[in-house]
Amino acid sequence: MAQQYDIRAMADLIESLRKDAERLKKIAGDIPSVQKNADRILANVKMLEININDVTEILGK
Amino acid sequence: MNRDEYWNPILETLPLEQLQRLQLKKFKEIFTWAYEHSKFYRKLYGDAGMEPGDIKSFEDIRKVPKIEKSMMRDIQGKDPFPYGDILCVPLEEVTDYRQTSGTTGQPIYQADTWQDWEFSTEAYAYALYAQGYRPGDRCFLPFGYNIFIAFWAYHYAGEKIGCEMIPGGVLNTEARILKMQELRATAMGATPTYVLGMAETARKIGINPPTDLQIRKITVAGEPGGSIPATKKRMEEAWGAKVYDQVGSTEIGHWGWECRQQAGLHVNEAFFLVEIIDVDTGKHIDKPGKQGKMVVTTFNRSAQPCIRFDVKDLIQWNAQQCDCGRTFRLLDGGIRGRADDITKVKGVLLSPTAIEEVVRDIPQLSNEYQVMVIKKGDIDDITLKVEIVPEYAKDEASIRTVLVDQLRLKTNLGYNIEFHEFGSLPRSQAKSRRFLDQRPKLH
Repeated sequence: MAQQYDIRAMADLIESLRKDAERLKKIAGDIPSVQKNADRILANVKMLEININDVTEILGK
Repeated sequence: MNRDEYWNPILETLPLEQLQRLQLKKFKEIFTWAYEHSKFYRKLYGDAGMEPGDIKSFEDIRKVPKIEKSMMRDIQGKDPFPYGDILCVPLEEVTDYRQTSGTTGQPIYQADTWQDWEFSTEAYAYALYAQGYRPGDRCFLPFGYNIFIAFWAYHYAGEKIGCEMIPGGVLNTEARILKMQELRATAMGATPTYVLGMAETARKIGINPPTDLQIRKITVAGEPGGSIPATKKRMEEAWGAKVYDQVGSTEIGHWGWECRQQAGLHVNEAFFLVEIIDVDTGKHIDKPGKQGKMVVTTFNRSAQPCIRFDVKDLIQWNAQQCDCGRTFRLLDGGIRGRADDITKVKGVLLSPTAIEEVVRDIPQLSNEYQVMVIKKGDIDDITLKVEIVPEYAKDEASIRTVLVDQLRLKTNLGYNIEFHEFGSLPRSQAKSRRFLDQRPKLH
């Protein structure tokens, strides 16, 4: 069923989301509302990675 | 194979060979993480002469030392308080505390980061989606939200899927039933004991669940009843709903569940590695049909990793491929008991689950029962306490005959049978303790 999806494109976007959220955290300085909401975004990004990125290598994508 | 059936059609239909490559990759990652961040794991693996580069195959995984509850009990209460040196993250990254129910001894503390909690919820979302939960479902949680893990993840997984979640925490049973009726709830999650107890209470207040309520899906957890055919049949008939089993624990997460086919428990093999080990020989059981104890690894729990945890639950692989199209393997008969619970009575090995199967298969008996084992002199004495449903009270003699015969057939033992007044045996909202072994312990 994996071939029905563009896994590589999804994985690339997820990587980009991680980079954006990490950069947001970095430039937020000491603003807790940005830091902590970025942490929550990153936790969700991790779930996307578990669901998509972790399997790309196995599928040769 | 309909892809709308899957929470993640890619992982859930991954061919077994690719799934196993994924498992090996993930095992290496969690092993390395634990080795590098936890003093407890570093010492455990160091003492066994192992380090991250040593894991290259499943054979290598089998050499990794197992952990068990007693080890967790030994380290907790120490620094970093209260988790001890198993902890892999700074305390300030821990956002959630839970503890085990303590059924088998001192409760185990469990630390989670927010990301770990997302992982627990994600694993539970696989289960609920497979059981047909969808946006538009209105799910009632008739359970006290508290320090135990039970049903917290059901709540957040349902929310993640897009269901409407109703927390029925502090209400009593009657109020919960009335609220379900008022709001036309379509699904719920509870222990098998409580599912049966609620139906009993509903009927007492003049509500017949199949016709007066709209619950059509029930997810059960916390006890083995969801995978015991006679108990499942009782629940489905009492509610006019499909009942699905779900298994997990505080330390592991939610590793197994039934899908809509109800063909057995699927193991979420993309998130967990489940190994089955022969209780007597210690050898791995890879083929279906032979029972052994479960050793499990959770791949993505970072604060307090669970690596090769010797759970002592007894399981066996099922040879059948599920019609749902998932490649996640099935277990035959769910959790078949605990290595700890299987006890010798009068020299015969007895699993309490076998008694439940007999009692729940006799429709004239109520849902409750209790088993007590004592020592009379040098001889074990086993008593089964049951309740007859009032309308069958006159049939006590014939029920006793059926019960004695079936127990002899299924457990190879003779019992003292006691009939108690309907409603007099203890009812529980959480995990029930129905097997009371009061024989002096041998040291």
